Amino acid sequence: MGAEPIIRLDGVSRWYGSVVAVSDVSFDIRPGITGLLGPNGAGKSTLLRMMNGLAATSTGTITMFGEPVRDNPPLYRRIGVMAEHETVYDFMTGREFVLMMARLRQVARPAEAADRAIELVDLADAQHRRMGTYSRGMRQRMRLAATLVHEPEVLMLDEPLNGADPRQRVHFQQLLHRLAEGGTTIVLSSHILEEVEQLAGTVLLIVNGKLAASGGFRAIRAALDQRPYHVRVVSDAPRRLAAAVLGLESVEAVTVDPDGAIVILSRNVRDLQVELPRLAQSSRIGLRRVEPLDDSLESVFGYLVER
Amino acid sequence: MTSIYLLTLRQLSGRWRLLIIALVSALPPLVAVMALYSSSALSVDAFETAVLGTLLAGAAAPLVVLAIAAAALGNEVEDRTLANLTLTPVPRWRIVAAKLLASITVAGPFIAASAFLTAWVAFLGDATAALAVTVAAVVGVALYAAAFLWLGLVSSYAIGAGLLYIVLWEGFLSGFVSGVRLLSIRHYSIAVMHALDPRRFAAGPHVAPSAAVLISALVFAGFIMLTVRRLRRMDVP
Amino acid sequence: MAESVQAGRAPGTVFDIGYRSYAGRREGRGRGRIAVFKNGVRTALGLGRGGRAKILPWSFLAILTGIALIMVLIAGAATRFAGPAGAAKMDLPSHVDYYGIASILLFVFAALVAPELLCRDRRERTINLYLVRPLTGTDYIAARYAAGLAVMLTAVWLPQIILFLGLTFDAAEPVAYLRANWLDVPRFLLAGLVLATFTTGLALLTAAFTDRRAYASVFLVGLFIITAPFTAGLASDIQGPAGQWLSMFNLTNIPMHVNDIIFGEVSDVTKDAPAGKLPAAVLVGWYLAWTIVPGLVLWARYRRLSP
Repeated sequence: MGAEPIIRLDGVSRWYGSVVAVSDVSFDIRPGITGLLGPNGAGKSTLLRMMNGLAATSTGTITMFGEPVRDNPPLYRRIGVMAEHETVYDFMTGREFVLMMARLRQVARPAEAADRAIELVDLADAQHRRMGTYSRGMRQRMRLAATLVHEPEVLMLDEPLNGADPRQRVHFQQLLHRLAEGGTTIVLSSHILEEVEQLAGTVLLIVNGKLAASGGFRAIRAALDQRPYHVRVVSDAPRRLAAAVLGLESVEAVTVDPDGAIVILSRNVRDLQVELPRLAQSSRIGLRRVEPLDDSLESVFGYLVER
Repeated sequence: MTSIYLLTLRQLSGRWRLLIIALVSALPPLVAVMALYSSSALSVDAFETAVLGTLLAGAAAPLVVLAIAAAALGNEVEDRTLANLTLTPVPRWRIVAAKLLASITVAGPFIAASAFLTAWVAFLGDATAALAVTVAAVVGVALYAAAFLWLGLVSSYAIGAGLLYIVLWEGFLSGFVSGVRLLSIRHYSIAVMHALDPRRFAAGPHVAPSAAVLISALVFAGFIMLTVRRLRRMDVP
Repeated sequence: MAESVQAGRAPGTVFDIGYRSYAGRREGRGRGRIAVFKNGVRTALGLGRGGRAKILPWSFLAILTGIALIMVLIAGAATRFAGPAGAAKMDLPSHVDYYGIASILLFVFAALVAPELLCRDRRERTINLYLVRPLTGTDYIAARYAAGLAVMLTAVWLPQIILFLGLTFDAAEPVAYLRANWLDVPRFLLAGLVLATFTTGLALLTAAFTDRRAYASVFLVGLFIITAPFTAGLASDIQGPAGQWLSMFNLTNIPMHVNDIIFGEVSDVTKDAPAGKLPAAVLVGWYLAWTIVPGLVLWARYRRLSP
C-alpha cells in the first residue's frame, strides 16, 4: 500500500482544563470507508471535529492532502462535514438551504448541483417546503444533500444514522458504498457495532480518548472473539451444573463461587448461549440468573492493551 | 458573501423584533415634537444633551444595535449553526463583514430615520443640522455594531457586559469624567455631529472632531479584527 | 432469565445485568419546590457553573455594596471634619437616597437575573424535566419567582444593612444613634421589599415572553432606561393632572414614590417628579397594580404548561 494517506494524525491530544478528551492518537486514513467506533463519551466527536478543523488540537498535528486542516478555509472545497446535531435553519426551504451551501462552497453551477444532491437523497418532492415542517429523518437527509452538494473528496459524518429508520439506513449504506467506490474518502463515527460492521472496511476503536484498536474489521472481531468471556450463572444445583457444563465445547473453565454461583470461562459465547439452556433443561436444573461479567468495549480495550 | 448577508438579514428580521425596534426608534422624534409644543422652550444645548445625547445616542441606538448585532453571530453560536458558515472556503473576514453589514442594514435605517426626524423637528427644518445628526447617528450605529458583533461572538454572557457598558459607561461616567469620553462611542458620534455642522453645534464640551474621526475608524477596524481573530481561533460548536 | 422461542427461530436469552429499582424514601411536592427554588438561586448567582458565570452577578453585588460603603465613608469623614452638628446640616445621602442612587443598577441586575431563571429552561426544553415530576407549572413559576425575589432582596438589603451598621459605628455615640434611628431598619427593609418585588415581577414577566436571554435583558433595560427620561421630560413640560399621570409611567419611579411614603421624606430622584403630588393612596395603588398584575400574568402563562 504505497499510496499517501489522505488524512494523517500525529500525536493528537485534546484536553479541556483537567479533562482529557483525546489522548495521543496517531493514525492514517486512506480512501474507502473508515469507521470511528467507540462508546458514548469516548472522544469520537472531538476527534472528528479536530479532523475537520472545527476544533483545535491541544498538541499534535492533523494534515489532509498534506495541508493543515486548521485555519485553512480553501481546503473546505474538498471536504464535506455532517455534524451530529441539527444545523438547519427552520425558516428556509430545503432547496434554499442546499443552494446556499452550494454557493458558499463556490460550486460552479449551484442550481444544478443542488438538484443533483436533492435527487440523491430522494427529497425532490419536499424541497420547496420549509425545513421547520420536515420530520427528523428528512432534515437529516437534507443535511446530507447539503454536505454532498459540492462533491467533496473527503466526507466526515458524525453519527449519521442517529434516528434513521430502516429504509433510510439501507438507502444510506448504498449511497456511501457508491461514493466510496467512486473514490471518496469517508470517515464516519458511530457507537453501534453493527452499523460500522456493515459500512466500514477499516475501523478505529476509541475508548476513553485513546486509540484501542485499528485495522480491518474482521481482524478486530476475531481478536474480540478470542478473548474469553466470564459468565456468572446462579442455579438450583451449582455443582451438578458445573460438572455438566465442563462437558460443553464452548466452555474453557468453570469456577465455583463461595456464594453458590458458578463462573464459566468461555471463548464462544454464541454457542454457550444456545448450549447452556439446553443443558440445563435436559439435566432438569433451574437457571435463576445468567449474566456476562465483562461485556463492554471498555473491558475489550483493557484486554487488548494488556496483550 | 452575499449569501451570508442575505441569510443574516432573514435571521435578524423577525416580525416582533422589527416592531419593537420601530417603536423604540419612534420615541426620540415624538419627544422632540412634544417638546416643540410645550410651554417651556429648551435651549439648543439642553435639547442636544437631553434628547440627542441621552435618549437617542445614549439609550435607543446602543440598545437597538446591541439586540441586533450581538444576535448576528451570537445566535449562530447558540443554535450551533455557525459551522455552516465556517466549513466553507469563504475567508473569515468576509463572513464577519457580511454579518456586520447585515446588522447595520437592519438597525441603521431605524436609527437614521429617528435621528433625522428628531433633529428636523427640533431645529425647525434645518436640513444641514438634521443631516449632520443623521450621519453622526449612523456612525454611532456602525461603531456599536462592530463592538457588539464581537461581544456576541465571544460569550453568551456578553449581553450583560454590553448592558453594563451602555448603562454605566456611556450613561453615567462619560457624562461626568471627561477623560472617559475618549473611550465612549456615544461621544464619538456626538463629535462627528459637531464636526459636520459647526455653526449649530460648535459650543459645548466635546471631543475634538479630528480625534473622534480617527479614533472611530480605529475602533471600528479594531473590533472587526478582533472578531475575525476570534472566529479563526475558536472551537466552532 | 427469560427465554423466547418462536416458531422457526433460535431461542434467545435475556440477561439480568443487575438493574435495581429505587427502594428509598420518596419525598413530596414540597421538596420539589424547594429544589427548583434552590436551583434558581444558584443559577442566578452563577454558583456551580464555573468562573465566567459568576463575574456579572457578583460584580453587581460588589458595586451595590461598594456604593453603600462609600456612603459610610463620606458620612464618617463629614462627622470627623465638621462635627456631628455640621454633618447633620449637610444633608448627607442616607437610606432613602441609597435606593435612588442604586435603582438603575438594580434594574439592570434584575434584567440579567430573570432571563437566567426562565429563558434557559424553555429554550433548552429542560422545563419538561420539571413538569414530568409531581410539580405543576404553578409550582415551578412560584419557586422561580421566590428565587428571583431572594436574589433581589439580597442585592437590596445587604448594602442597606452595611450602611446602617456603618452609620451606627460612625456616630459619636453609637447607642444614642441606634435609639434615635432604629426605625430606619424596618423602613429600609420594607422599602427594599417594595423595590425587589417590583423589579422581580416585571423582569420575570418579560423573560416569560421570549426564549433568548439576550432579547429579554435588552428589552428590560431599554424599558427602564428609555421610559425614564422620556416620561420625565414630557411630564415636566405638560402641566397639571395630565403631566402627573404621564409621570406615573416613569417605571423607575413607581417603587420610589412608595419608598418616599415609607420614609416620610422625598428622595432626590423623585423630588422633581410631578407624580409625587398625587395622593399616597393613588401612588401605592398604582405600585400594587404594577407588582401584582405581572405576577398574575406570569402565573397564567405558566400554570397551563404540561410536559
